[in-house]
Amino acid sequence: MLQELSQIDNKNKNIIAFWGYPQKALINEYKLKYPRAKWVDLDIDYNYPDLKFVPDAYCTIIKNICNNAFYLKDKIIAVLAPIGKDKCDSAYFISEILKDEGFNVIQCVFEDKCPDLSKIKLPISKSNLPLKEKVEIITRNIYEQKDYSYLSELKPSFGFWGVPPNDLNILNLFPNNTELFGWIRAVEAGYPGDWEIETYVDENLPTVFFTQAFCSKTALAKYLANKYQGLYIDIDTIPSNSAKAKIEAFLKLR
Amino acid sequence: MKTYIDAGTTWTKILKIENGEKNYSIIPTKDLRMLNLKYNKCTGHSLPKDKKIYENEVVALAKGAKKYLEDNFIALDLGSRDIKYIQYQNKKFKDMDWNATCASATGATIEMLLKFYNVDIKDLEFNPQKYSVTCGIFGLEKIMDDIAQGISAKVAISKFIHGIAFNAFNFAKNPSKICISGGFCENPCFIESLKQYCEVIPLGRFVLVDGLMASDLEN
Repeated sequence: MLQELSQIDNKNKNIIAFWGYPQKALINEYKLKYPRAKWVDLDIDYNYPDLKFVPDAYCTIIKNICNNAFYLKDKIIAVLAPIGKDKCDSAYFISEILKDEGFNVIQCVFEDKCPDLSKIKLPISKSNLPLKEKVEIITRNIYEQKDYSYLSELKPSFGFWGVPPNDLNILNLFPNNTELFGWIRAVEAGYPGDWEIETYVDENLPTVFFTQAFCSKTALAKYLANKYQGLYIDIDTIPSNSAKAKIEAFLKLR
Repeated sequence: MKTYIDAGTTWTKILKIENGEKNYSIIPTKDLRMLNLKYNKCTGHSLPKDKKIYENEVVALAKGAKKYLEDNFIALDLGSRDIKYIQYQNKKFKDMDWNATCASATGATIEMLLKFYNVDIKDLEFNPQKYSVTCGIFGLEKIMDDIAQGISAKVAISKFIHGIAFNAFNFAKNPSKICISGGFCENPCFIESLKQYCEVIPLGRFVLVDGLMASDLEN
């Protein structure tokens, strides 16, 4: 992704920025309108300068959105901005603020319910790929929309519930046979706002329930961790040694 | 000879086994490097995490306190800079937590307070009153306020320790039975304070090195 960004022409606007999971129809509309545009996921930390645009005690993903958006402002054609239950209230506020700051913001809501849960396909979440790779592929596939049905399924020993962490390296602590649950699973299923998919876990799997600190999903993660005897963990920017050690201990002892 | 070490932030606990005889000792961690000690397994904040011989601290605690965990005790280790607990149910892991991000209500703070106010740990007595140490820094402020009002340092520190005991009880989710590991086992004021809330068994300072030995025997 960083390499892609370095290829961006500084003189012309040629970025379609987005966060969360805008509907496929909206993505396809902008792909058709701007076939040469680069797609940039604003949720990801690209190490752009911290503008301190939001308070210090605030979700790091939302901080990333602000830092990335303002750093790339001159190159951004449009920001596709999910603001519904498929993302969060903070995203709504930021979308309005970005509009106020002169960005071309296209607000969208993707709260569709899956009509038949038995038919959802989750080849990446259930695959034998390393966990970090699973998450990277799912988030990249929001705009790439490739077929991964060829991936082989692995019998899971652990579960990871949540959103893509700000620092994906935390996922390297998990073995490959870790199945994805939570919002990231709902994204792969194509229904990022579906409560049933987001809250589903395999109760027989020892599962780590992860959220970013200062995210409202902390309440849900803690509730589900207690319900399924999993490990609740929230991390702000970079995981501390104790956060890593907690996960290691949980994986060893369960 | 087999050697197991738990190199904490302030103190290093050592177990040496020679001809079946166990020998436990404690040294300041700052002296550890000078000893150039060879060991079979290790744990603790102050050592590199060499995967071949390093054991996770909670895992070492679980193995060292296994007998009590299987008897439905919560095992709680309160060290110089962190606090961690583990719980079993039906002889299997159920729950754990580990807080190492704030050391203002842990052992190192008590050691500093005792030195600063020149109080001997033996002179501390349980005090039914307690400071709130949800934030240890605010707790320290209460000590200073009380001492400024004429209360003796040993009474103020006892109230702070009672607050730590109450905090530890809450951190472990209000259990009925706790077994304690770490330096606080040698702090009668802390043990008496914790007993106000639940049944307490102090296991001493060598639970983690015992866990390392158990882990070594398993492999």
